[in-house]
Amino acid sequence: MTPRVLVTGMGVVSSLGLGRAAFWRSLVEGRSGTSTISSFDATRLGRTLAAEVQGFVAGDHLTATEAKRAGRCAAFALAAARMAVRDAGLDEGALRSERASVVLGTTMGEADICGLLDGRWIVEGPDAMSPRVLPKYAPYLLSMETAQAFGCRGTVLTLPAACAAGNYAIGYAADLIRAGRADVVITGAAEMLQELQFAGFVRLGAVAPERCQPFDLDRQGLIVGEGAGVMVLESEEHAVRRGATALAEVGGYGLACDGFHITRPEPSGAGVIHALREAIWRAGLTVDEVDFINAHGTGTRANDAVESTAVRAVFGERRVPISSIKSLIGHCMGAASAIEAVSCVETINTGLYPPTVGYATPDPECDVAVVANAAGRGRADVVVNHSLAFGGYDAVVLFAKPDRLPPPDVREARS
Amino acid sequence: MRPLAITGLGVSSPLGLGWDAFRASLAAPPGAAFTTSPTSFSALPHPALRVAEIAHFDPRPIVGDKGLRNNDRLTRLLLVAARLGLEHAGVKRDGAFVAHGPAEVGVCASTAYGSLEAIHELDSVARLEDPRYLNPARFPNTVINSSVGYVSIWEELRALNATVTNGPTGGLDAFDAASLWLDAGRAKAVLTGGAEAMSEGLWQAFRRLGALDEHPEAWAPGDPRSGGLRLGEGACLVVLEDLAAARARGAKVHAEVVGYGAAFEPAEASAPMVHVSAGALARAVQGALAGVDRARVAMVVSGLSGYGLLDGPERAAIAESLGEVPVRCPKAWMGETLGAAGAFGVAAAVGWLADGRAGDCAVVTSVGFYGNASALVVRRPE
Repeated sequence: MTPRVLVTGMGVVSSLGLGRAAFWRSLVEGRSGTSTISSFDATRLGRTLAAEVQGFVAGDHLTATEAKRAGRCAAFALAAARMAVRDAGLDEGALRSERASVVLGTTMGEADICGLLDGRWIVEGPDAMSPRVLPKYAPYLLSMETAQAFGCRGTVLTLPAACAAGNYAIGYAADLIRAGRADVVITGAAEMLQELQFAGFVRLGAVAPERCQPFDLDRQGLIVGEGAGVMVLESEEHAVRRGATALAEVGGYGLACDGFHITRPEPSGAGVIHALREAIWRAGLTVDEVDFINAHGTGTRANDAVESTAVRAVFGERRVPISSIKSLIGHCMGAASAIEAVSCVETINTGLYPPTVGYATPDPECDVAVVANAAGRGRADVVVNHSLAFGGYDAVVLFAKPDRLPPPDVREARS
Repeated sequence: MRPLAITGLGVSSPLGLGWDAFRASLAAPPGAAFTTSPTSFSALPHPALRVAEIAHFDPRPIVGDKGLRNNDRLTRLLLVAARLGLEHAGVKRDGAFVAHGPAEVGVCASTAYGSLEAIHELDSVARLEDPRYLNPARFPNTVINSSVGYVSIWEELRALNATVTNGPTGGLDAFDAASLWLDAGRAKAVLTGGAEAMSEGLWQAFRRLGALDEHPEAWAPGDPRSGGLRLGEGACLVVLEDLAAARARGAKVHAEVVGYGAAFEPAEASAPMVHVSAGALARAVQGALAGVDRARVAMVVSGLSGYGLLDGPERAAIAESLGEVPVRCPKAWMGETLGAAGAFGVAAAVGWLADGRAGDCAVVTSVGFYGNASALVVRRPE
């Protein structure tokens, strides 16, 4: 029998605070995490704002050995994972098992270590790359560090799916549990703000000068963010056996690829439409049962128009509330959909829709029901989490209130 | 694991472009691919150092030249392997789909350090000139999954597109991911494998780590006297399909993938992060062989590279798990291809199993740098 996959714990590192409570409180209050970049000088680029994580001290969350090993990205991942494990009420020792896995996503991984090594090479020559530092760089180290910290002995994997990485990781982690390969999976994604990557987004013309205004007629682009969102997923049997509280169920997920352009979304939104419909039918639901959409909503002209087209194509005239928290926490790239997944589950638990701030003038190309400027309240049994990414990736994960969905075997029979 | 069919193999490698050239090279003695004079970056600073690269690699005869200008080497290696693999499987002919449709074919490929070349290129501009001069058309190459993304663009593949990164084991882990997605009906065929490109950055990093072979007279993967590895490059993408569906469409089944296992062993708290675990590989092999008759195992196609740090635990785990079984070392032919290595191991297994010797299964093994290990079982089709 295919098990239900439950979310039993969550952790967040974000520009709006550390931990799910601080993060969620700031979101529903509509606070912005944007500030002047402090980790490097961006003035030459003409864009100086980002949603940077402030006051993060690795040693507050990691052991001394872990903090020494990890770069900023892996430290974010591990800190969020530790919060999630505690939130799940799991004893860390309980994860020392072949049935415990780690699946995380990212775009660049340990970008600070990479930048440090590359800078030494460029300026001083290859012999300046320290053999002590080199092993600390690999895009897959955040998963290894996390598995190492908790002693997980099952599958350990990193899925670098750019800005859809969180959704890819959560979907894959759920598959491991459904396939009977794991009882518990630590999953999510992490990303850090780094100078080269920031400059690249600026050169692509994607970065807004002052603020991110998803779906607004006058939107000017995204604000780059950073952080981590991590969840503990468990099979229902495992969660029930230890008396855990289920926060939500991972219902289903959909994947597609535009196969169109490496950075621009395909204008018809066919890939997003496919991924959204797939997530819904794999959860055993119909489109009429979705209560809220967490948008990818980057604030770029192309993304928001295409995403709106897809929403209209799937939901028709039904005005499903939609919001983009990137207007508050910025675009956290690989971590975006993982942090937003945490927000989706909070919506399910509170019935609150976080706002899209900066929404002033409706855009006819974005004819969707934006939760504008102040948090909304409403039915929140079923929530979908959109992500679109470099490479033409489209990934959507559906979360539902525990016991809201039909049993997995019934879903499979229907599909 | 439900058996899956390998219906086509696409290879871009120093052993040749295309399955036939690759397979023929594996039938010859190893060593011919290694050079002291690479063409992809300036000459090696030590006369004993060797790499296996595709000299003067030119993808244009296979994929044409339109749109290649801003693609990096890794992307070009992948584009060649994808085109060859889809044609070899009979999914495409002359660039058009003849089996399945665009929405039914996906890609899942591994790379360990795929974007380093682009990161160094753009970082050099930013640091030595000005970040305002970064070429935005080259920026996507710094994002790890972009190379695999380009495969879907070039081949018009609309089903899932995924990149796996897990060091040397990633090329096997990609098969597991593809298998889960095929089982779930997310695609009817998935181009599956891995790629790694030769770059000066990668080579310098391994040199600084003291991991490279400097004593060519003693170099032999699996031989404890070997002093290090030799870097290689290439892309290997096989077309993976449901076995029954592949047979139903009349596809030639080159091999079956029938088992997979993966495991992680944490290091002791105070031990270095880099650690290689024989125990993890033993568990991975055990998992991969669940449901497979061990008497049918004809060979191990290992990840042995000549680097003792990795080879020692891998040899120990193979001996413990499988006893006296022949151990083959594809890296003796093509060097250490990191994120592509597992996929090349699968391709080598397909070629060697076709020799028809006793037993019809090969266990492909790989150990990672940080305590992870994976194994895959490939079977000659009945």
